[in-house]
Amino acid sequence: MSKLLTREVERQLQLSRRQVLRGLGAAIALPTLISASPAFARSVAGKAAPTRMAFVYVPNGAIPAAWWPAGNAGADYALSPTLAPLANVQKNIQVISGLGDVSAEPGADGAGDHARAGGTFLTGVRIKKTAGSDIHAGVSIDQVVASQIGHLTRFASLELTCDVVRKSGECDSGYACAYEYNLAWQSANQPLAPEHNPQFAFERLFGDGPRNERVANLKRRENDQHSILDYVMEDAKSLNARLDGRDRQKMDQYLTSVREIEQRIAISKTMKVANPDLDAPAGVPASYEEHVALMFDMLHLAFQTDSTRVATLLLAREGSNRPFNDIGISSGHHDLSHHKNTPEIIAKVQLIDKWYVQRFAAFLEKMEKTPDVDGQSLLHHSMILYGSGNADGNRHTHVNLPVVLAGAGGGALQPGQYIKAKEQPITNLYLSMADAMGGERLASHGDSTARFQS
Amino acid sequence: MFSNFRASHAIGLAIALGVTATAAPTAIAENSAVSVYQSAIVPILEDHCFECHGDGYDKGKVAFDRLETDAQILKPDLWLKVLLNTRAGLMPAERKPRLPPADQQKLERWIKYQVFGIDPENPDPGRVTVRRLNRVEYRNTVKDLIGVDYNTDHEFPPDDSGFGFDNIGDALTMSPMLMEKYVAAAQSIVSEAVPSEARKPAAQIVQGVAFNGDNAKVKWGKRQLVFNEPANVSARVNAVPGSYKVKLEIEVNGSYVPDPGRARVIFKVDGKEVHREEYGYFDEKVFTLESTHKWASNDHTFNIQLQPLGPAGKPETIIDLFVNKVTVEGPLEKSQWVAAPQYDKFFPRPVPASAKARRAYATELLTAFAQKAYRRPLNDADAGARLAALAEATYTQPGKTFEQGVAHAMAAVLASPRFLFRLEAPAPHPGNAPFSDIDEYSLATRLSYFLWSTTPDDELMRLASRGQLRANLAAQVKRMLADPRAGQLARNFTGQWLQARDVEGIASNPREIAIRDAGEEAKLKQLFAAFRAQDEKTAHQLAQEIDDLVKSKPDLEKETRADMRRETEAYFDYVVHEDRPITELIDSNYTFLNEELAKYYGVPDVVGKEMRKVTLPAGSPRGGVLTQGSALLVTSNPDRTSPVKRGLFVLANFLGTPPPPPPANVPALEASESEFHGQAPALRDVLRVHRENPLCSSCHNRMDPIGLAFENFNGIGQWRDSERKQPIDAQGSLITGETFNSVSELKRILVTTHREDFYRTLTAKLMTYAIGRGPEYYDVETIDRIVRRLDDHDGHFSELLMGVVESAPFQKMRTQASMTVSN
Repeated sequence: MSKLLTREVERQLQLSRRQVLRGLGAAIALPTLISASPAFARSVAGKAAPTRMAFVYVPNGAIPAAWWPAGNAGADYALSPTLAPLANVQKNIQVISGLGDVSAEPGADGAGDHARAGGTFLTGVRIKKTAGSDIHAGVSIDQVVASQIGHLTRFASLELTCDVVRKSGECDSGYACAYEYNLAWQSANQPLAPEHNPQFAFERLFGDGPRNERVANLKRRENDQHSILDYVMEDAKSLNARLDGRDRQKMDQYLTSVREIEQRIAISKTMKVANPDLDAPAGVPASYEEHVALMFDMLHLAFQTDSTRVATLLLAREGSNRPFNDIGISSGHHDLSHHKNTPEIIAKVQLIDKWYVQRFAAFLEKMEKTPDVDGQSLLHHSMILYGSGNADGNRHTHVNLPVVLAGAGGGALQPGQYIKAKEQPITNLYLSMADAMGGERLASHGDSTARFQS
Repeated sequence: MFSNFRASHAIGLAIALGVTATAAPTAIAENSAVSVYQSAIVPILEDHCFECHGDGYDKGKVAFDRLETDAQILKPDLWLKVLLNTRAGLMPAERKPRLPPADQQKLERWIKYQVFGIDPENPDPGRVTVRRLNRVEYRNTVKDLIGVDYNTDHEFPPDDSGFGFDNIGDALTMSPMLMEKYVAAAQSIVSEAVPSEARKPAAQIVQGVAFNGDNAKVKWGKRQLVFNEPANVSARVNAVPGSYKVKLEIEVNGSYVPDPGRARVIFKVDGKEVHREEYGYFDEKVFTLESTHKWASNDHTFNIQLQPLGPAGKPETIIDLFVNKVTVEGPLEKSQWVAAPQYDKFFPRPVPASAKARRAYATELLTAFAQKAYRRPLNDADAGARLAALAEATYTQPGKTFEQGVAHAMAAVLASPRFLFRLEAPAPHPGNAPFSDIDEYSLATRLSYFLWSTTPDDELMRLASRGQLRANLAAQVKRMLADPRAGQLARNFTGQWLQARDVEGIASNPREIAIRDAGEEAKLKQLFAAFRAQDEKTAHQLAQEIDDLVKSKPDLEKETRADMRRETEAYFDYVVHEDRPITELIDSNYTFLNEELAKYYGVPDVVGKEMRKVTLPAGSPRGGVLTQGSALLVTSNPDRTSPVKRGLFVLANFLGTPPPPPPANVPALEASESEFHGQAPALRDVLRVHRENPLCSSCHNRMDPIGLAFENFNGIGQWRDSERKQPIDAQGSLITGETFNSVSELKRILVTTHREDFYRTLTAKLMTYAIGRGPEYYDVETIDRIVRRLDDHDGHFSELLMGVVESAPFQKMRTQASMTVSN
């Protein structure tokens, strides 16, 4: 076999190994079927701008009575009090009811609805109850899609959070904290820790230093890193041969991480690195409102510059007990969410729900005002799912989750509607979203039962 | 005995009190599990347990009379619960008498030796997953290794934790983003530390505090100017004639308010303006402004002016401008260069000329560095050569120096898995035994990260290389504890066991708490109503009344929170260093205070900023960690105390009997307030209503009385006599029967009748922290022995520490399915 051929075989092996590491070994290619559902009406073929996908997580569910629009489904519906801030983008969003996260329901594993709501939201699998010895969730949908189309952009995916500090000690009811603080899971035991510092997120995407030196700094950094990465890769491989069990898992995580950076450097050589006409953020603002706005800005920039097409943003970990002093709420969000139908407390929780929706609305308006390469808006070419793995925080329910799907997915979606879908796992919607991303058609994801049906 | 090696069962941290057997029974080991169970154990269970778990009853799905085969009987997780619950007095339930001591002992021995299969002379050390350095360990390690303080709290994401600690191998994961950060960190650290040439221009530093003049302030020992006050400060420097580079380093650090101010900064050298910059809000951001100068004389003046740019009249808009330093580099003329500082530390000899000699020198340097970084010898000769080749590939490039090449390879060492992960190996010649000692390098590393949270020092490595560390263990532990690095144990262990780390970040609203304590929440509601009704006059008047109400109450400053953390750390450190009985962690007549915190607590006669041991006035409730600000604050909600969280805190972290998590659909306490029809009830009364629900009572009967004992401390840790205009009632009784009238009496109970529970719980916590995995059922005997040791020696801390260090889980590893490392 020629040397070139050997290398190609090696590359293929590496690729397939990477897919296995990402938990995709079982994905079976099926012929693409066009969904009959109104949410996914049109085919996605033949457009110039790429489709982007993001998941924005909001904790502790939402007050259902204030979330759901009154009246009938369809295009002609009035926004609910909580969703009122979305008025300017109403034609760009879909409010979808009927979606559930049954994997978050208590089973034999007992209490821990918050950890489960967070850990299952994008994975759709029951997470293992463990204080830390054998964390086990599943590959999250963003990572499934990233493994298919991630090679087309400099970053396969982007993970962001607005949680700066973590609680010490133990988390929810015997579940490891990893389930609450991470949305994206690259494999069942490898959560992808999200970035909380908007400055670092920016510099990672576009380089650091003064505006006119950023791209050069980035290239220099990547050049310098190349030989270091080669070296440590060899080191890890030689170790890996001698490790087993969980130690080997750790070294596999290390190897996939190194490989992913190497691939990015290779991609950077052929792709133009964007240089936004902006200063990098000045670090983590003390104000949560400003922090949330900046993280949304980073998401917007990453999509605008086509640095990545897949992202997750954790506005706050599930079960978050953040007070909202700026709007006169000094009790913690989680404490309040168990309101036992006390009207005064319900009003406060609804204010918090609405506060989050306001931040999301501002982001969507920005996305809608940003033109993409084909003149359509960036929002048109995106699918931004906003939601929570808890429905009614008071009772810890996981059916009829509060979910808004924004954007037209490049034409795959028909926004501007309120859809009362039949009861089904939210993973069904993910499958349909993944279809619209144009990767290999997935047979299933987590607890999905079919494609999304309205 | 170990041939049927059981899968490990995570058991949680709770391991409770009981009688410890000293030797393994030999008789029962001969018989089958069924026959021993039937003949020896069932008669005990029949008397005490069958009422709920036999004769047709299977409460909690446990029926002891339905275990009929060996497989049904030999279930460690079932019997671990039995052990735990009988020891803690939780079973038999509902205040029925405990098992008689003889029966309890018989049952325990059977569980430990038969069901768990523990060989007390050679217990299973368990399996520790390879541990990645967490961000504290990484920072300390890099500092000791190269002398660079890399701020990992800022640069790296927080680490995932397991079993309540962030140094658990299984929970510490790796991701592409983190790996990127590791590589970038390695490059940045090396480029800061390692000189790129043997000679370079001299540098002198003018410290920020040397700048004096109008409105020059000092904060945290640094020269501070503020954005809303014009300032004009100067400093002088002496330098021989020549060319110079002047680097001004300033730092902008703002307290964010909705409209932060801006300021202009002008820097003049010898009266001539060289920089004019404008700054807004930044969070600890450092700016370096550079300029070059050709100086003919010796005496030079630096001047910094700060001009506020508004917004005007916003005194609350405080942004600090710290003048960190001015570095004066020069003369830049090559003939006047001097030896680079630290050069000898990295390059002890001049760089040789020939390619071959250079390669050999690089190999030598990098081998030594890698051994230190990897915490063990590089046995593979090839490893040093590979590193040298990496260096050579850089230093043979045009424009690159030998030193830069070596630095590049050093960065690779810092990004290597051998550095980032703590790889462990068995001692040489482990033979066929199932367990082996870990080798001395692994032991040095375990000790060092346990006590210091950093890499082993030269002495530990030297002893390990001679195979003498294990033989000198006690002396080395003593030496290590005397070292300032041992402060890391107090910081990182109490930071997590007692969550003292969280006190600086936890949300709290002192104003709301003060209003609630005063029973004036109605005013607040009226105020909001007035706002909504746009009744400005009423709103203004109410706001004034509320202001008057809370004016006298101290706020919870950032510095006070830090003092609270320091108090807890200093307290634990004292118990460690003075080898005090660990019961003093709960109950004592002293604590650690400075003037500010003493005032905050209402303790008189403490003057000065430094933390020191303070003997408390007679009758003071403050002795012990439970009544320190840190514990009181982290167990409170933002706007009130939480007796439930406080009770849970004590049960989980001191008694080892955390109740099971609440069932789904449990309402928050606030919801029970609706039962009081508009009256503002005291928390005690709200909890009483909550407990009336039988679903809640079994656990809340355990948590609430403990938590309510602390009600004299409000949500920010200050003493109060009343809440909502009702006097505080701190009386209560434990589920195990003891009654108390105050928090001081509760503490006494905890260190007397529940002393063993506490010993056992703290042992399990410290072991988890030390070995990096959660406790397993096969650790029960190890923990029991340490508890016995504490009992026999008045609970002195050294007995606990040495107990852990000498234990099998710390000293040994499994050999089967264990990895071997020989670099």
